[in-house]
Amino acid sequence: MRRILEINGEETPIWLALTGQTHVLHLGARELPCTLDPATGKGAYTLELDGKRIALRIAEGEDATFIHLDGRAYEVGRIDPSQTLGEAGGDAAQDQMIAPMPGVVVSIAVAPGDSVAEGQALLVIESMKLETTITAPRDGIVAEVPFATGDSFGGKAVLLGLAPLEETE
Amino acid sequence: MSINKLLVANRGEIAARVLRTARAIGIKTAVLRHPAEVDTPAHAIADEVVTIDGATPVAAYLDIDQITKLAQRIGADAVHPGYGFLAENAGFVKTLDAAGIIFVGPTEDVIDLMGDKVRARKYVQERGFPVAPSAIEDDNPADFVDRARAVGYPLLIKPSAGGGGKGMRIVREAAHLETEIETARREGERYFGDGRLFVESYIENPRHIEVQVMGDGQGNVVHFWERECSIQRRFQKILEETPSPALTPQQRDEICDSAAGIARAVNYRGAGTVEFIYAPDGRFYFLEMNTRLQVEHPVTEMVTGFDLVAEQLRIAGGEALGLQQGDIGQTGHSIELRICAEDADADFRPAIGDILLMDEPAGPGVRVDSGILDGGKVTTDFDPMLSKLIVHGRDRAEAITRARRAAQDYVILGVTTNLGYLDAILAHPKFQSGDVSTGFLADEAEALRQAPDAAISDILMAATALSDVRLVRAVENVPEIYRMMGGWRN
Repeated sequence: MRRILEINGEETPIWLALTGQTHVLHLGARELPCTLDPATGKGAYTLELDGKRIALRIAEGEDATFIHLDGRAYEVGRIDPSQTLGEAGGDAAQDQMIAPMPGVVVSIAVAPGDSVAEGQALLVIESMKLETTITAPRDGIVAEVPFATGDSFGGKAVLLGLAPLEETE
Repeated sequence: MSINKLLVANRGEIAARVLRTARAIGIKTAVLRHPAEVDTPAHAIADEVVTIDGATPVAAYLDIDQITKLAQRIGADAVHPGYGFLAENAGFVKTLDAAGIIFVGPTEDVIDLMGDKVRARKYVQERGFPVAPSAIEDDNPADFVDRARAVGYPLLIKPSAGGGGKGMRIVREAAHLETEIETARREGERYFGDGRLFVESYIENPRHIEVQVMGDGQGNVVHFWERECSIQRRFQKILEETPSPALTPQQRDEICDSAAGIARAVNYRGAGTVEFIYAPDGRFYFLEMNTRLQVEHPVTEMVTGFDLVAEQLRIAGGEALGLQQGDIGQTGHSIELRICAEDADADFRPAIGDILLMDEPAGPGVRVDSGILDGGKVTTDFDPMLSKLIVHGRDRAEAITRARRAAQDYVILGVTTNLGYLDAILAHPKFQSGDVSTGFLADEAEALRQAPDAAISDILMAATALSDVRLVRAVENVPEIYRMMGGWRN
């Protein structure tokens, strides 16, 4: 069975199989036999991997698994391979500036129809008492500016849209 | 007139911390709660939880009239403001005074004086305490820019009404002075509703050293020694310790006596902190006085053995200080780590999420002041600080060792925290030798970055795959014949 796991922004496809009673993790060409057994403590487990026994704490979130290992916490994103198909070949991320968290629009430097160059300041937002300038990720034409100065926005709101790039091939 | 019933007009870890002491000394307790808040430790400790309303949770905690009426309704004869929110709001003190309710803190006049950074500097300077060269806009707005220029570079622009480092700007070249003044003014207006500014000479590689003071408003003032708070990101402290590794015994006495002198000059009542900037050559200048209990007060409690909240409540109840300076010693060394929901590797961006699993460290010399519970939620409604980890050791080296072990044992899963980053600070050779300044975190950003490790990736992926119940079940349900094919994939 396949999953795509994401650590520090890097996606890795994995394959989990069962050989007899032992699980085998396939990572590219490598095959790693492994077992996971509950241990004493909240969320505590012992992982056997590559002949080593490793103590860890695990908490499973909706689309990520959180692991406390050797004094550090890590987050591993779990991506269902079927979800990524729809985005294949697109450059959608560069068309819309998405708010990472809720905030307020401090100022707007552009209007729909304006040509902008990569790196140009588009608008200034404030989230958690910090000012951030949103700059153009590429050259393009401003298609939409949904908010006005002083407006509040929610997390994941579209702050500004660029017209999609024309296919030039 | 000792206090009978105390309302804590705050939340999170500080509410829990104040409530614990109040209960221990036999005071009845109540705490506030906004409907949008999840359960926190404070709600479990207080005898009574009182609902406050407001468009946002923060607006509710700033609602002077509502909080005063609630205090009257539940029969509280005193209010402890914690830190932040209304802790340094003279209007709140005035309203409580009028309602006949004790404010656990200084008088309205002192809050007013120290809350105006410009007036406070002048007051302190006139009484012979050291302040840095500066230019104050209000003295004559027309030639402010010229006077700012005359202070010399580098200089620091600060909002007159500011605090907590918000809106501060360092200017190193004349070319940027005017645009930086405009930006600082805009930020001052937005954060504090007040665009007035002042500039002061900026000290390169400074340390931030502050002194805990306590007075009874009856002429008695003592200090509880210093705290070193140089480890800051974006002008905000994340690690504090005492004693400061920078001070000689003579310098320590000098800076602590100055702080006590400033508190004595205003006949200070309650707990307060006098902040100084400390230059590498040993000069120090008054920065500001915070007229409240500070976030980092526990390190002082660890080395002096005093419960500062108990002292605050005694004084608020009308008792005299009853302490001489000689009664207050420092034993060993203490370090506090502020655990924040933030991504240190992404410019300290605040993080949100559900606390899926939490396990606090314990052991000799370890104290956790926490504002979260297992199963809680971290939102953007409040400050990203979740809890504080405070350790005590015989000396600085032992305190560092204990802090590292406790930080590594502190399990918070489900939301990104700065625990790993704090551990990296503790492990840094320059920190360990005490060679730090307020620029330390920015200067050492690369060294403190948590490099991903390939060997760890295998462990994380195996653990993720095997703890994914749906994945494991699906694998086990694959018919034997396909299972034999093991590595088959599309």
